[in-house]
Amino acid sequence: MSSRRSSRSRQSGSSRISDDQISDLVSKLQHLIPELRRRRSDKVSASKVLQETCNYIRNLHREVDDLSDRLSELLASTDDNSAEAAIIRSLLNY
Amino acid sequence: MASADKTINTDVPEKDVFAIHFLQSLSNLRIQNLFNSPDTTNYRVRKIKKAAYVSMARAAGGTSRLWSRALLRRAAKGNNKIVRFPRRKRKVTWKISSKRRRSDQRAPVVEDAAERLRNLVPGGGGMETSKLMEETAHYIKCLSMQVKVMQCLVDGLSPK
Repeated sequence: MSSRRSSRSRQSGSSRISDDQISDLVSKLQHLIPELRRRRSDKVSASKVLQETCNYIRNLHREVDDLSDRLSELLASTDDNSAEAAIIRSLLNY
Repeated sequence: MASADKTINTDVPEKDVFAIHFLQSLSNLRIQNLFNSPDTTNYRVRKIKKAAYVSMARAAGGTSRLWSRALLRRAAKGNNKIVRFPRRKRKVTWKISSKRRRSDQRAPVVEDAAERLRNLVPGGGGMETSKLMEETAHYIKCLSMQVKVMQCLVDGLSPK
């Protein structure tokens, strides 16, 4: 691993991620998070974006948990035939 | 290797791809008679949740993303299955201790927030900050797709 690192630094910075690309990624993330999308200004700092990203991911995990819970109940209580019909109908209506 | 960084692609497949993979997992669970037994609620919920994450990882491209690979590897460990991952020509991401990560040169306040993010994104521990952010963007998109699919199913199955 040390040889890989030294060979990387031997290249004239061509494999370094530039700060421009970092700020591009930060703005991409900002775009994805509903909290921050409303404040279209560029004044949101990178650390704030990362912070809100953490919160957003935690919320999404919680939603998956909640939906798994409800799906589990629903799938256990519906009979197979009406479940299939309902599923196909709901996904086609998207 | 430098040219790959010019255009960072974080596109995700359509919602249908996520739906198909999730439905396949669910029908596998049904074949295991999971939905008929009355007294296994927690087990059932956990199986469904695991199916959601695994099918999401598969829909997102399987082993072609660092986070989905980490997720699938983690899930396979739980199954005690031996999963073979295709040998990749790219270098394997090592778990780099924070002392040796090149991204230490960025502002420390950014790095602190990045640390917390590393704990949330699968496989984040070994990623450099820029790679972490790219994977996070993709992960978030896939997660929201998965949530939409599950919400659609719940809405469709709920009694009117």
